[in-house]
Amino acid sequence: MGANAAHLKLASSSTAGPTVDLGDLLVRTGRGDESAFAAVYDALSSSVYGMARRVIRDPSRAEEVSQEVFIQVWKTAARFDAQRGSAKSWVLTMAHRRAVDAVRHDQAASNRDRKYTSSNGPDFNEVEESVTLSLEHEQVRRCLAGLTDLQREAVLLAYYQGYTYAEVAEALNVNPATIKTRIRDGIVRLRDCMGIEA
Amino acid sequence: MTTDLHTLLAPYSLDALEPPENTRFEAHLEQCPACQAELAGFQATATRLGDAVALTPPATMRSRVLTEIARTPQERPVVTAIAQRRSLRSAVPRMAAAAAFLVGTIGVGGYAIERDNAHEADARSTTITSVLAAPDAATTSKTFSTGGNVRLVASPAQDSAVIVANDLARLKGHKVYQVWMINGAGPKSQGTFTSSGTMIMHGAGGADSVAITVEPEGGSKQPTTAPIVTIAI
Ligand SMILES: [Zn+2]
Repeated sequence: MGANAAHLKLASSSTAGPTVDLGDLLVRTGRGDESAFAAVYDALSSSVYGMARRVIRDPSRAEEVSQEVFIQVWKTAARFDAQRGSAKSWVLTMAHRRAVDAVRHDQAASNRDRKYTSSNGPDFNEVEESVTLSLEHEQVRRCLAGLTDLQREAVLLAYYQGYTYAEVAEALNVNPATIKTRIRDGIVRLRDCMGIEA
Repeated sequence: MTTDLHTLLAPYSLDALEPPENTRFEAHLEQCPACQAELAGFQATATRLGDAVALTPPATMRSRVLTEIARTPQERPVVTAIAQRRSLRSAVPRMAAAAAFLVGTIGVGGYAIERDNAHEADARSTTITSVLAAPDAATTSKTFSTGGNVRLVASPAQDSAVIVANDLARLKGHKVYQVWMINGAGPKSQGTFTSSGTMIMHGAGGADSVAITVEPEGGSKQPTTAPIVTIAI
């Protein structure tokens, strides 16, 4: 349970005023500081792995991709620029791209069609069981509920399933130009609801 | 097909563009302040979605990652300071010629990579200047049929070289160009770039050549593909 307790502590500290600045740790990582890297890993491994697991589904493949992400973080940490976003955003953006690439590559390789099912959204019960519940999670659920159905479906299919907007259009049988607009409207609404600076 | 490229920002922030569109959008993003300004907020929003499905990874992953990074070299920061050993004054005419050669058609601003802040750009141009000013500076240029060129100025006396890549073809699938300096001990990574970049190399005096290979994002420990160009020093 040690790891879970540690994660809970970090999750709550991010809302109660940061005790560790992830950006500083990332800068130190960029200078070759392995203990700073370990701290970055401890702070972000649940977010990276959980996201990869959601997008990729297969646990061992998700683990493989998560490892690659952290090695990439190690290699390229010197490129992190705090003026262009938070450390967490930098890592998660890199991780999502890798996860989506993996799922597209695997699917192209197996020539398997992706079938849209209604269970594509985040399964919040599963999240609660994983002991990594944080305040942000409640907020995400509430903010998602504030979107129109089409905005929500489009954003969720793209983010959690790795669909391109053209694939989202296909799955929902809606014009791609409309999907592009709905994704934008959805993200803007989520951003504002979450109190993120525009 | 004409698309208003700004409208691709939101799908881009969710990694929801097809590869060709993604490439086109990234080129747009490089020079669109409106999209740049909005990107961080969209990425922060997407990050919350990722965070909402956090899941503790298997405990063994941690030790595997930490073991792996301990033997993985990091990408070198592109900017490194070297001592200016020469008086620049006496070398101005020569330097101007070398600088003109190095920068080619892209103008003096080509020294500074777009994202560098002013301070880094200063440190960079000071360093480049000292290589260009060296009396023994030798210059080489290669142009690619796929577009773009690479120019190299090497000074054995300064033990340094500067390589400038201009507008090389963008690579698909998150690949990068990686620069290597090759001596008797083998290739040594000098850093990576995606299309254009300026790199300062030390220890060039003992090097045989400089080569560029195509590698996965973040670069490789050793070259994994045949060089697209090799320049003897
Ligand atoms: Zn734009």
